[in-house]
Amino acid sequence: MSPRPQHWLLHPKLSVAVRIALGLVFIMAALPKIADPPGFAKAIWAYQLVPANMLNPMALVLPWLELFCGLALCFGVWIRAAASWITLLLLAFSLALSINLARHNPVDCGCFGATAHLTDSERLTDMRWSLLRDVALLLLAAQIFLATAPRKN
Amino acid sequence: MRSAPILIRPLALAGLAVAAALLSNFLASPARRLGWAGSGVPLSPSVSPQTLPREPSLVEPAVPEPRFDRPISPSRTTSPKVAPSAIPAARQEPETPAFSPIREISTEEAWQAFQSGTPFLDARRSADFLEGHIAGAWSTPVWESDLDDRLLSFKAARRPGSEDPIVIYCTGGDCRDSHLLAEKLLGEGYFHLLLFHDGFPAWVAQGHPVEKGRP
Repeated sequence: MSPRPQHWLLHPKLSVAVRIALGLVFIMAALPKIADPPGFAKAIWAYQLVPANMLNPMALVLPWLELFCGLALCFGVWIRAAASWITLLLLAFSLALSINLARHNPVDCGCFGATAHLTDSERLTDMRWSLLRDVALLLLAAQIFLATAPRKN
Repeated sequence: MRSAPILIRPLALAGLAVAAALLSNFLASPARRLGWAGSGVPLSPSVSPQTLPREPSLVEPAVPEPRFDRPISPSRTTSPKVAPSAIPAARQEPETPAFSPIREISTEEAWQAFQSGTPFLDARRSADFLEGHIAGAWSTPVWESDLDDRLLSFKAARRPGSEDPIVIYCTGGDCRDSHLLAEKLLGEGYFHLLLFHDGFPAWVAQGHPVEKGRP
């Protein structure tokens, strides 16, 4: 019997590696934002998508949500709940980047805290790379969902 | 326990995040704290990064070529909070008043204002201010929770009249913090606000006096 691709894609060892990798990305993204909520509020404001009165609550809660979801994935607890939030967040981030790319509005990603001073064209390039990264992370989240799907007997 | 309702755990994660955010914000220093209800500055669309001009000359009253595709044009002088939809109406007004409550100034004009003793407000983050700022400037970081307290102590010390000039700066380029602060001060009844467009980097490049630490 030759091993099917599905066998490798859902191999338990790969699943653990994917979970920890995705978890670590979210923990690393959360920490600088938790350390500096005003900087993150400014980054969200630049996207011009969030109403002014929602800006601060979002800047305060979102990084902690990222941290708890990242920790849950790394430690293997509440995996599907954490992966659901992460999928939702990644979709929201991708949408926000896409809208601002379509508007030709260069913004600092804000994904991993404040970035160095960039020119507009550098920002637009960064935004495309960030979008690509979000899609790749979405694939990791999909793997987690598939690997943890309840078995039907 | 395997058949817990599907939303319980995601909601629990969100609840944990809200609780942690409440606690951490409560314990944070003023420079790292955010008001849950909203920002200390008016985040109106007219000051958004998109709608503000990126070229320095566009807000100057003496701009040679009129550019009406941007919301803030020389005609902005008539009303400080010009919405994008108001531009066609503003275009029909032939004369512009000589005095604008918010005006962008060059490094040279900022230097003249400095020499004549005009107060300078630094709209950047307080950490940036500590690393270096224009000599004698007041730290008024627009994104930090103690902005109002800092502005109060500035007003108490300098007692600026509504027509007295105040220079506001941040990091130049596409930095919007000085514009946000200007909008706030305009709302508080100050009508002679000078935005030092090129900001702190240009000041340093010219070799003008700077200080470190608190004022």
